[in-house]
Amino acid sequence: MRRLGQRLNQYLVVFVVAVSLNFMLPRLMPGNPLALLAGVDVGLMTPEQRAEVIEQVGLNAPLFDQFVDYWKAVLTGDLGFSFRSGRPISEMIGERLPWTLLITGASLLLSAVIGIVVGSFSAWKRGKKSDLTLLTGMISLQSLPSFWLGMLLISVFAVQLGWLPSFGAVTPASDLTGWANVRDIAEHAVLPIVTLTVLSIPGVYMTMRYSMLEVLGDDFIRTARAKGASETRVLFGHVARNAIAPVVTFLAIRFAFAFGGSVIIETVFSYPGLGRLVFESVSGRDYPVMQAAFLVFTVAVLLANLLADLLYPLLDPRMREA
Amino acid sequence: MTKRWTLPILLVVIAMIATACGDSDESTTTTAAPSGTATTVSLAPGETQPPATTAAPAEPITVRAAITGGEDTINPYTYISGFPGWNLLMMQYDSLMQLDADGIPQPWLADSVTANEDLTQYTMTIVDGATWHDGMPLTVNDVKFTFDYFIENATGRFSRDLRGVESVEVSADGALVVDLAAPNPAFDLVALADIPILPQHVWEGIATPGEQTFDISTNVGSGPFMLTDFQEDQSYRFKANPDYFRGTPAIDELVVIVFADDSGALAAIRSGEVDVIFERVSPEQIELLDAQDPLDISQGPEFTTQMINFDASKAPFDDLAVRQAIELAVDKQDIVDTVFLGAATVGSPGWVHPDKPAYNPEVVPVFDPAAANALLDDAGYADSDGDGIREFDGQPMQFEMLTNSSDSLRLRIAELVSEMLADVGIGVTVASVETATWEEAVWPGFDISNGRNYDIAAWGWSAPVQANTIRIAELVNGDPGVGFLNLTGFANDDVDRVSAALLTEADPAASQALIDELQVLIAENVPFVLLAYPDGAYVYNSDVYADWEFIAGQGIVSKVSLLAPGDRP
Amino acid sequence: MTAVESPKKRGRGKSAKLADRLGWTGGVMVAALVFMAVAAPWIAPYDPTERVGRPFSAPSAEHLLGTNDVGQDLLSELIYGARVSLTVGIVAAVVALILGTTVGILAGYYPKRLGSFLMRTVDVVLILPFLPLLIVLAAYLGRSLINTIIVIGVLIWAGPARVIRSQVLSLRSREYVLASRTMGAPDRWAIVRHVLPRTALLATGTFVRAVSTAILLEAALSFLGLGDPIQKSWGSILFWAQARGAFLTPAWKWWVLPPGLMIMIASLGFALIAFAMEERINPRL
Repeated sequence: MRRLGQRLNQYLVVFVVAVSLNFMLPRLMPGNPLALLAGVDVGLMTPEQRAEVIEQVGLNAPLFDQFVDYWKAVLTGDLGFSFRSGRPISEMIGERLPWTLLITGASLLLSAVIGIVVGSFSAWKRGKKSDLTLLTGMISLQSLPSFWLGMLLISVFAVQLGWLPSFGAVTPASDLTGWANVRDIAEHAVLPIVTLTVLSIPGVYMTMRYSMLEVLGDDFIRTARAKGASETRVLFGHVARNAIAPVVTFLAIRFAFAFGGSVIIETVFSYPGLGRLVFESVSGRDYPVMQAAFLVFTVAVLLANLLADLLYPLLDPRMREA
Repeated sequence: MTKRWTLPILLVVIAMIATACGDSDESTTTTAAPSGTATTVSLAPGETQPPATTAAPAEPITVRAAITGGEDTINPYTYISGFPGWNLLMMQYDSLMQLDADGIPQPWLADSVTANEDLTQYTMTIVDGATWHDGMPLTVNDVKFTFDYFIENATGRFSRDLRGVESVEVSADGALVVDLAAPNPAFDLVALADIPILPQHVWEGIATPGEQTFDISTNVGSGPFMLTDFQEDQSYRFKANPDYFRGTPAIDELVVIVFADDSGALAAIRSGEVDVIFERVSPEQIELLDAQDPLDISQGPEFTTQMINFDASKAPFDDLAVRQAIELAVDKQDIVDTVFLGAATVGSPGWVHPDKPAYNPEVVPVFDPAAANALLDDAGYADSDGDGIREFDGQPMQFEMLTNSSDSLRLRIAELVSEMLADVGIGVTVASVETATWEEAVWPGFDISNGRNYDIAAWGWSAPVQANTIRIAELVNGDPGVGFLNLTGFANDDVDRVSAALLTEADPAASQALIDELQVLIAENVPFVLLAYPDGAYVYNSDVYADWEFIAGQGIVSKVSLLAPGDRP
Repeated sequence: MTAVESPKKRGRGKSAKLADRLGWTGGVMVAALVFMAVAAPWIAPYDPTERVGRPFSAPSAEHLLGTNDVGQDLLSELIYGARVSLTVGIVAAVVALILGTTVGILAGYYPKRLGSFLMRTVDVVLILPFLPLLIVLAAYLGRSLINTIIVIGVLIWAGPARVIRSQVLSLRSREYVLASRTMGAPDRWAIVRHVLPRTALLATGTFVRAVSTAILLEAALSFLGLGDPIQKSWGSILFWAQARGAFLTPAWKWWVLPPGLMIMIASLGFALIAFAMEERINPRL
């Protein structure tokens, strides 16, 4: 418990520093949000009109006051309003997050299953031809540029073959309901999920293989094998169970990173997730949206780390015994 | 906001896996026509079905259009971009005048527009029978309210159009009378054909539109389309207004889809998922897209510009010889041929597009690197250390040329220009930066009194700056109040005098004489280098809808394109 | 994800040899690319910055991979591209290595206050928003290839720092270090004599992995328009291919595929070397 308290303390420090930097970073960026606030013809406004616009959103206040207000908002969970649309940011994030979680969640699930199975198999066959073929294949997948893969998938499956939609999360203005709607959403999600899955399998695979090899060297496995337990039983009953902890940690952190959105994949597929919101708020200098999105991200990552810290001893029988 | 995603994620995943694993035949039948709505007649590429016989007049037509980047809720205080944001705004609203195919304002909501002799008073009568989308009649009082409202709430984009308006009154016989402080020969183009007329009963309750958060319930206009659904950064759905005062629109529904980038939109039109792209397509795509059935291209000259800016307020660009040498050293024809593959007009050194009636044919571009070298030699910019770069004040003439990385054609232009300037001993390294950074360097805070933080920059203005020739004064006048778009810090007494006179000249012939003179002066004094006016080229699926109208200089994205031919101005 | 370490002997057998073989394959791939980069002026048929053909030409005898959107030879761009891409990858990884190793060793060797401070810094860096950080760094460091390198280096050093710290932590408690400390040798000596050499191999492995990360990152930045498309890198070739619609035209075969494959080969080459090295450091794996 003392260790947990110490970790909490550390996370608190990191939280305070990171969240403070989130306030500074947007303001350090060159360019300003005037174009967003006042529209494209901002150049045609008089200096007084511009000053009025800046005043309306409180950007003329002393930086320190803005900083204090910012922290007050963070602590009360008030994400504020977008410069661009004036909408509550919590609502905007609420719209985007499910889409991002759908494609990243599904791809993590798929890559976890595939990565764990293939990783265990590879470790089991350690040093054999099949292991090395898989290993080389996985390292190759890891070396693919993500946007390149995504665009080629669009080119083949959407444009040339016409099997799947090339953009978006739903067919616009289609009035679909029920199962037709589910199907529509699923069809739109296929290509982004495939791309993300292909790119995240290698990470799971490597972690699983690594962890399995650790466990395979342990005495109790050798004992189990010597006792004549069947190979599959040993593999999945003993080894995999004991090797799963690092993989779960890995997945927890990867899932938390999903809260940052995947900018590139969402851009390539014009997918309405968090990543696009972040990218657009960064390009347009929409300070409140940037701050809110990064706050959500920071909290998610820290929580996932904490969760991993808590789960690890529960999942790893060796640590439980010790 | 519909919450379609609230369906259990599990179902989605299962369905998704089922789809992914399902045999290809099955998924082909259902997804090959993402044109989903059975009403549209769009063919998947490569399919050779007989020509659509279903396009009977009774069939509802849905046009799905692609744009790049969202436009918020597209009301007069929320739309984002001048193009296509304003164009989509005007699908829902009407202005008093409307540009015809030649780009000339014609009476629209006003059925007659008359101006007095010295162009200080405009009198308009409003058409009968126009109604708002909610059924209320549109009256002259709405028009007066709109003018007053924009003047009062000065942070909006349309308020500037109304600078110089002294009074707006409704006369006893129901006509609208607008009095101006000074003659404004362009008032029809700048204000009457630009400002959306607002319904008083909707907007009178909105005291400070700048601080208001809007949803689409405010989008009550009189235009041919009504915004019925909006998914941020995904799509807009416009239904045709059957009671439109010019007649029922030619299509029944317009769905505008927001893409994250150009290539997404290109993929979608090729796969048959959209029917038109409301952004210009890149020159290399024109031929390719045109070759694919049933896609067609609508192409023509437009008024956007690609140019080089330099900081003319500091050495060495404050020296006329240097600016003239740059103008002479740049091969604009090569830029048009190489970057635009011919789909652009060579830039006139006098700013005005050669297709415009106001163009002065005596002003022609000259490419002469030898003359440029001679000019620089004579002005004393020698290359004393033999490194191929001339020197000024003891420093090498080596500069950074800023461009924005989001405009790939402009980047290529910058690359070419740097090669061309190297031939006359001016060293230029192209620096491609993210858009807001570039904007902030060239136009800090969007206020020229903040100065400039660049040496050379690739730049460009949108079509409206060119469309109204009188706005030339905003670009070159040395007084920041008049020349508020004078980004290069250029100042010249003759140019100031002529451009100031132009702003208030009521007589068309005298005005044209001033414009002619100004073009010559600009060509001589080189406040900037105008490289090219890129053509507009728009791709559309002719099976779905083919009657697009290319408004000269402005392109196809307007309500005019979607009205029955007889109802157009 | 540092699993519990419990050293157990197990012979380096067939599998080690196979790992070595993979490592050598990676080495050959990298060597070939480095050769291509160094010898670019002699191998490349044209100067990649010269406009030598018609824009958008398909492959022909003169231009084996056709030309790009302004008529530059794509094969020459690809060959010269190795220079920028590898330089960015290697130099950015060096930056990350120096930062990561220094921080990792210091944090591991002085785990109390300094270490704690450094590791909290690492935690913060790992969750800092990437895009604005990039734009801010670009704004204050100026715009150049060097800048791209520093930015990538700064963005990827934190991961390696963690790995190295845990290695140093375990080294710190070993007898020889403890012995030298009790004998009163200065910390600097213990670090240089005992810790650094034993960390070096691990650091090199991390470094090689960082190279492949950096190469991929450079390409991704180019795609988002945050790189420098004027530099001839594989990433910038793809930027132009994407900007001029080549992904959807027949040109993808000669414009899109080759640079993507080069990025993959380079990244794969370095990753294979890294794998083989890790295998040596910890033979149990």
